[in-house]
Amino acid sequence: MPLGDSATILVPVDVTADDRPARPLVDLCRSVDVVLLGYYPVPDQLAPAQLKQDHETDAQATLEETADRFRDNGIDVTDILVFTHDREDTIDRVANEYDCDAVLVLSETEHIEQILAPIRGDTNLERIVSLLEALMQTSDASATFFHSVAEDSDPSHGEFLVRGAADRLAEAGIDRDRIDWQLSEEESPHDEIVELGQAYDLLVLGETKPSLRDRILGAVPTRIVDEVDRPAFIVRDVE
Amino acid sequence: MSEEAGQLERNLGFLEAMTLGGGTMIGAGIFILPGLAAEGAGPASSISFVIAGVVALLAAVSLSELATGMPIAGGSYHYVNRALGGLFGSIVGWGMWSGLMFASAFYMIGFGQYIVVPLPFLDGRVLVVLLGLIGLGLITGINFYGTDESSGAQNLMIGAELVVVLAYVALGVFFIEPGNLQDFAPTGPSGVLATTGIVFVTYLGFEIIATVAGEIEEPGRLIPLTMILSVVLVTILYAAIMIISTGVVPYQELGDSFVPVSEVASITMLGVIGVAAVTIAAAIAAISSSNSSVLAASRVIYAMGRDGLMSERLNVTHDRFATPHRAIMATGGVTGLLILVGLQVQEIVALLAQVASFSFLVTYGLVHIAVVVFRRADPDVYEPDFEIPAALYPAVPVLGVVMTFVIISQMELQVILVGFGVVIFGVVWYVVYVGGQAIETGLIDDAFEDPVQAAIAKLPITSNVPETVEPYRVVVPVANPETQRELLRLAAATARAHADEGTPELIAINIIEVDPSTERNIASERLEHQRTLLANARDIAAEMHVDLRTSAITAEQAGEAILDVIEEETADQTLLGWSGTLDREEHAFSSTIDPVVKQAPCDVSLVEIQQPSIGTPVALAGPGPHSPVAARRAVDFATVDETIPTLLNVQPPNNDGDITPTERGTAAIRWVAERAGLAPDEYESEVIIARDAESAILDAVEEYDTVCVGLSEQRDISRILFGSIAERISQEATGNVGIIRGTKRLDQSGIDDPLALVDDPETIFAQK
Repeated sequence: MPLGDSATILVPVDVTADDRPARPLVDLCRSVDVVLLGYYPVPDQLAPAQLKQDHETDAQATLEETADRFRDNGIDVTDILVFTHDREDTIDRVANEYDCDAVLVLSETEHIEQILAPIRGDTNLERIVSLLEALMQTSDASATFFHSVAEDSDPSHGEFLVRGAADRLAEAGIDRDRIDWQLSEEESPHDEIVELGQAYDLLVLGETKPSLRDRILGAVPTRIVDEVDRPAFIVRDVE
Repeated sequence: MSEEAGQLERNLGFLEAMTLGGGTMIGAGIFILPGLAAEGAGPASSISFVIAGVVALLAAVSLSELATGMPIAGGSYHYVNRALGGLFGSIVGWGMWSGLMFASAFYMIGFGQYIVVPLPFLDGRVLVVLLGLIGLGLITGINFYGTDESSGAQNLMIGAELVVVLAYVALGVFFIEPGNLQDFAPTGPSGVLATTGIVFVTYLGFEIIATVAGEIEEPGRLIPLTMILSVVLVTILYAAIMIISTGVVPYQELGDSFVPVSEVASITMLGVIGVAAVTIAAAIAAISSSNSSVLAASRVIYAMGRDGLMSERLNVTHDRFATPHRAIMATGGVTGLLILVGLQVQEIVALLAQVASFSFLVTYGLVHIAVVVFRRADPDVYEPDFEIPAALYPAVPVLGVVMTFVIISQMELQVILVGFGVVIFGVVWYVVYVGGQAIETGLIDDAFEDPVQAAIAKLPITSNVPETVEPYRVVVPVANPETQRELLRLAAATARAHADEGTPELIAINIIEVDPSTERNIASERLEHQRTLLANARDIAAEMHVDLRTSAITAEQAGEAILDVIEEETADQTLLGWSGTLDREEHAFSSTIDPVVKQAPCDVSLVEIQQPSIGTPVALAGPGPHSPVAARRAVDFATVDETIPTLLNVQPPNNDGDITPTERGTAAIRWVAERAGLAPDEYESEVIIARDAESAILDAVEEYDTVCVGLSEQRDISRILFGSIAERISQEATGNVGIIRGTKRLDQSGIDDPLALVDDPETIFAQK
C-alpha cells in the first residue's frame, strides 16, 4: 500500500521533557495526518496509576500545547496521553491501533534541506519512496538514497536498487535535480549511515523486523537515530 | 480537545509476569530454605513444600478470579479492602507490607551468609549483617533512583540463576544416597506441617503478579496462567531440590549449615566450581527477590494511600526520578532494622521467614473470603474473565481458609505472637488513623443480606404480627460544606415534623463519582474531603440532637447511588442540595438529580440554599400535582425558626361568577391544605389578585426567606420539566428555594396520572 496524502504519522513526545517538534518538522507534516502520542515514562517502582493521579492534568496541558503547534498549521491531529513503563511498547501499540504508516522521531533541527534515505532492499521500498514523495512535495528539500553493498554480493544489484528508487520518485513528479543516490562498499553500513547522517537534516528509515539481536540490543533504526541525533521518519513494515 | 483521558499502558507480557512472579519464588528462598526445611522435617520437607504449594495454588485460583475482575494496583490488599471493608483492608495492607519487609530481610541475611561462609578469610555474624545491610542499601538506592530499562538485566540475572538451579538438580540426581532418605519423616506429620509454615514464604512471588495486575497485558488470560503456572512449576522444583539435597547430604548436616545448597554443590558440582556458582547465584537471587519485594511494597503503600488508609505523603513521587522515594525509603529503613535484629537474635532467619509466611497466610485466608463476598454481592464493576470453575467453588475458598488455619496453628508461639502483633497493629492503625469511619464499607453486607431478607420474605404473613415501627428516615446527600448545615437543618426539621410516623432519623451520604475506566483511582483529596464532610455532618447532627448515620459511597453514577440508598433504607424522604441552575440539554436539573426526581419512591425536595435563615416559608398553593406536598414541606421547614408558613394563591381579577377572586383563592388554598393534611392553624393564607400571575408571584415571594414550589409535570411527563412559574422563581428568587416532588403513591389516589388531578382546577376549586 503506497503512502501519499492519506499517510498517518505517529509522533511520540515525552511529556515530561520539553519535547517540542521543531518548526520545519511541523511544516513537513502538512500533507499527512498526525497521531500525537504523549507518553509519560513510569519507573518500575511505581504503579502507572499513581503518576496518572498526580500528573495527568499537567501532562495533558503539555500535550495540548504541542498538538496546537500542528493544529495551527491546519494539520489534523489526534492526541493520546499514555502512562507507560515502556516507551517502545507503547509506540508499537499505538502505531498498530491507529494504523500509522511511519513514526517521526523528533530532534532539534533548524531547516530541512537534505534528506537521507538508506535502503536495504526491496522490503518497504515502495512505502519509503511514497513517504519521501509526500515530504518533498510540501518542501524544497532534496533527497539522497543510500545503499551499502554487502561484501559478497554484486555492486550492480545495489545500484539497480537505488537508481530504481530515484526513478520512481522522479516519475511521481519530483524534479530530478533534487534526487541523488550513493553507494558504499564499506563493511559496516551502520557506522557509515551514522557518519553520513551528520551531513543531512532528516533521515527516512525502514523499520527492521526484530531479530533476536534486536530484541536484546534494540532495533537498528532506533540505534541509528539515537546516534545520529537528527529527526527521522521510521517507515513501518506493515506487510 | 483531547478525545480521551490519559491511558495506562499494560507493558507486562507473559515472560515479564513469569520473571516477576516465578523469579521472586525461585529466588532467594531456594538457597536458604533447604537448610531450615531439612532441620524441621528431614527429607519429608519436600512434602512440606508440596503442602505449601497446594495452599498457594488455592490462593492463586481465588486471587486470579479477583485480579481479573478488577485488575488494579494493590493485589490482595485491594480486593480484601473492597470486599470486607477498611478494617480488614488495613490488616491486609499492613500484613502485606510487613510481610514483604520480613521477607526482604530474610533474603538479605541469607545473602550475607552465602558470601561470608564459603570464604575462609571472612567470618562472623557482624559481617553477615553488614553485608545484608549493604545489599539492602544497594537495592533501596537503585529503586530510589529508578530502574528504567532494567528489566533486561533482571531477566539475565534470573536466567543465570535458573541455569545454576537446574544444573544443581540435574547433577544432584546422580549423587543421591538412598540411605540418607531412609529416615524419611523424622519429625512426623506435625513436623512436616510446621515446616510448611517456614517454607511458605517462597510462595510470595505469585502474589506480586496480583499487585501489578493493572499492568499486565490481556489480564483475563495471563493473570491466572502466570500465577497458577508459576506456583506449580516452583512446587515441583522445590520438591525435587529437597529430595536431592537431603539425598546427597544427611538432613542433620544440612540443617546445621547456613549455606545448605553450597554444601550439596561442593559434592555434586565439581567442588569449588559448584560452590562459586551457587554463591554467585544466591547473591543474584537475593538481590532480585528483594528488588521485587520493594516494588510490590511500594504498590501496596500506594493502594493504601489511594483508599485513605495510609498517609498520601508516603506516596509523593520524586521530582526528578518520579519514584515513590519516601515509600521506598520507609520500606528500606524498616527492613534494615529487621536485619539489624539479626545481631541479637540467633534464630532470626527462621523467624523472619515464618512471620512473612504468617502475614501472607492471613492475607490469603481473607482473599478466599473476599472471593465469596464478591460472588455473593456481585457488584456491577465485578466481571472476572477468569472464574473459579463451578466444580471447585466454594471448595477452593473453603479449603483455602481451613488450610490457612491448620498451618498457622502449627507455627511457633513467638511467630504467632509477632504475626498477631502485625494484625493488631493493622486494627489499631485503622481505629486511630482512619478514625474508625469506614472509608470503604465493603460489600460484606450486600453479600449476606440477601439470604436474611429471603428468609423474612418466606415467613408466613399473618395479621397478628405487630407492625414494627420504622423510623422516619430522611436521606441527605451532602457535597458542599457551605450548604450542608442548612440542608441538615431542613432535613432534621422535616424528620421531626413527622415524628408521629416514626423516630426521626437522618442518613447523610456522600458520593464520590468514579469513572469506571480509570479503575477506581480516587484522588486522596477527594476521600479527605468526603471524610471531612461526613465528620462535619455528624457534628452538626449532634448539635441538633438528631440521630444521624453517615455513609461514604463510591459509585459510577451518583444519582443511581442515591436511589440505591433510598431503596435500601426505605427512606420516607430525600433532601438534595441543588445549585439552582437548569441544564437545557440532556437533563432537566443535572445527571445526578434527574434520576432521583424521576424514580425515587419517596418525597423529594430539591433545595437551593441562598441564605442561612429559613425564616417564614411560603408555598405556592396552585394547581400543580405536588402543591400539597410543597405546602406540607413549607410547614415542616417553618419549624426550624418556629414560624407559621404562608400558602399563596394567585387569582385573575375577573369577577364573572358568584364568587369573588379572593374567595376562589381561599378555597384553592384550603383544598391544598386539606390534601396536605394541614390544620387551619398551621398556615396563613394569602391570595393575590393580579392579571400577570407570574410577576405577581415573583414580587410576592420576595418577602419571604424560603419558597416551596411543587414540581410541575404539565409540559412533558416523560421528561419532568418545570412549570414556568417554578422555573422563574428558581432563577430570580433571592431566598432559599425548595422544589418539591411528592411520592407517586399511585395506589393512594387511585389515579395513575397525577395530571388527572388537575385537569380542570377551576372545577375542583368550585366544588370546594
